[in-house]
Amino acid sequence: MKEAYLGIDIGSISTKGVIIDEDNNILASSYIWTEGNPLGSAKKLLGILEEQFDKETYQIVATGTTGSARNLVGAMVGATMVKNEITAHAIGTTTLYPDVRTILEIGGQDSKIILVENGVAIDYAMNTLCAAGTGSFLSSQAKRLGVEVEEFGDIALKSTHPTQIAARCTVFAESDLVHKIQMGHPKEDIIAGLCKAVVSNYLNNVGKGKKILSPVVFQGGVSKNIGVTAAFKEALGCDIIVDENGHLMGAFGVAILAGRSSKRKVFDFSVEDMEFKTRDTNCGRCPNNCEIICVYRDGVLIDSWGNRCDRGAIKIGTKLAN
Amino acid sequence: MNGVKKVSFPSFTHYNYAFKYFMENGVGARYIMPPQMTLRTLDRGTKASPDYVCTPFKTTLGSMMDCLEAGADTIFMSMGLCRLGYYGELQEQILRDMGYQFDFVNLSEYSTGKRRDYIKALKRLNPRMSVAKMMLVLAETVKLVEQLDEAEAMYYKNCGFEKVKGSCKTAIKRYHTAVETATTGRELEAAYKKFKKEFNDIELDKPENPLKVGVVGEFLTAQDAFSNLDVEQKLADMGVEVYRYLNATSRMFHYKGKNLQVETSEYCKYDMGPTSTINIWAAKNYASHSFDGIVHIKSAGCTPEIDIMPVLHNISEDYKIPVLYLTYDSQTSDTGLATRLEAFYDMISMRKKVL
Repeated sequence: MKEAYLGIDIGSISTKGVIIDEDNNILASSYIWTEGNPLGSAKKLLGILEEQFDKETYQIVATGTTGSARNLVGAMVGATMVKNEITAHAIGTTTLYPDVRTILEIGGQDSKIILVENGVAIDYAMNTLCAAGTGSFLSSQAKRLGVEVEEFGDIALKSTHPTQIAARCTVFAESDLVHKIQMGHPKEDIIAGLCKAVVSNYLNNVGKGKKILSPVVFQGGVSKNIGVTAAFKEALGCDIIVDENGHLMGAFGVAILAGRSSKRKVFDFSVEDMEFKTRDTNCGRCPNNCEIICVYRDGVLIDSWGNRCDRGAIKIGTKLAN
Repeated sequence: MNGVKKVSFPSFTHYNYAFKYFMENGVGARYIMPPQMTLRTLDRGTKASPDYVCTPFKTTLGSMMDCLEAGADTIFMSMGLCRLGYYGELQEQILRDMGYQFDFVNLSEYSTGKRRDYIKALKRLNPRMSVAKMMLVLAETVKLVEQLDEAEAMYYKNCGFEKVKGSCKTAIKRYHTAVETATTGRELEAAYKKFKKEFNDIELDKPENPLKVGVVGEFLTAQDAFSNLDVEQKLADMGVEVYRYLNATSRMFHYKGKNLQVETSEYCKYDMGPTSTINIWAAKNYASHSFDGIVHIKSAGCTPEIDIMPVLHNISEDYKIPVLYLTYDSQTSDTGLATRLEAFYDMISMRKKVL
């Protein structure tokens, strides 16, 4: 039986999963919406992956999780590798494109830039305090304009005179957008303007002070939007590589990391049928009142986090009292 | 006791031990140790503060409330070279509006640079203070601050590599307890000597060429572990030597601003605020001593520290050293911080292997 590695990337908006073999070939992959329920969507994801996966020839021996719900889902699937999404993206992309110099990434809630030299990340930045210019901004504006966010790119490319839209802040951008709509700007110009606004916001915030060298890889959910890609091409004046699996790169990267590490734990798909529950409690043993999150599998505590000292430590294996 | 005050200074890393020693032995006032800051401190401080003020204002205000509830009747507040200089006045007003009754000694009101004015401020804490005794104890206190800072530097340099987990923490905690109860300069010296011996005996498991990270940033947030969500400890725990030049010793007692400015003149011509020159100098120093990374810490809206960020960009580019910029406000979730720190660590460790 051949070895395979599973990687799951649970973001705020979407949940991504891949299974790869030892040569980093993708055996199974899926991309679904998180819909505010990371445990449920992870289960659903595993169901989809199981259908595509050839259990006769391969066995999953290592599992990695990344993304903002990596701890939670890591506890659920018994991950051997829990890694932050920045490292996972860097590893995934540099494996596919060894000579990449700049990785642009725009996801649902966050955006980041990773600079690479000799196949190793040398500097990175991530948006702080502000979600302007990310995927969730685009999808909420799509709703306002009455189009599907998936069609955004095609509509944007039709425009010849993109509308100027203030890009510094979502609130300003939105009121500027409403104003331009009411002034009678055509829809395609507004959508193209939005794509441009996302790019200039990104370059002025996350990319500030960073030297963007080619080859440039653009990934994350927003990279599927050809309008934004075109705007990046224009702003940077160089070719932009968008991988067809760009949206899976985090999951792909963490699967590679799980495979590289020496930790091994056979994964079977039985977790799909187990019941997982999370609960938060307040420690209460000092005025700090740490919020402790507990994860239960079939009523038994399997992991907890959030406590800042030993006083808040909770015993694993405790039964859920109801 | 006639006119002798129960004084307190808002919680600020280990410097409260020095305040206590100085107030009790030099000035002859009673010192109330500020209770350890908790989320409640920050919550109450934030609620009573103007929205856009820097975070240290909120934490110190919250801590003042804690102090008053712990029994202090007088708050002592420092002066400062940035907005800090106005903290005291506003904080006093806010606390009075909330109904607290207390005396407030705001050093900003006495900061003429003349010794007799500072003595006037201290005499408010104890009218019968002996100036000669105070000056003597002041010298001992300066020495104490130097030792506290040195102990902390030793701690963050080594605690990530201890063989028995927690042994460094135990040693430094024991030292702090000894300092807190000391009443003479001789006891302070003995405590420090004992700490040094105990600390040097701790078994370490350090690689020959460990990862080194330098910390620069705003005076309070960079130094105070509560305010920066223990970022230095988190870094050290990953197996990193953490260095921070910025502390009271180097910024206040042995500050050579003019010289530091000369040494960083290729990056900036003027002094841009209380800690900008020292931070730029420190960053350049870390970079030229082939450190693996720099972490820049500031509270949201700290103008002097925002000003030095472009300079750090240039240093980062010239010396090819990554800089992690962290901005703190009154949010206390450390998930975002952990993600960034982990990624930073992964990056500098992989980079070190390749280069």
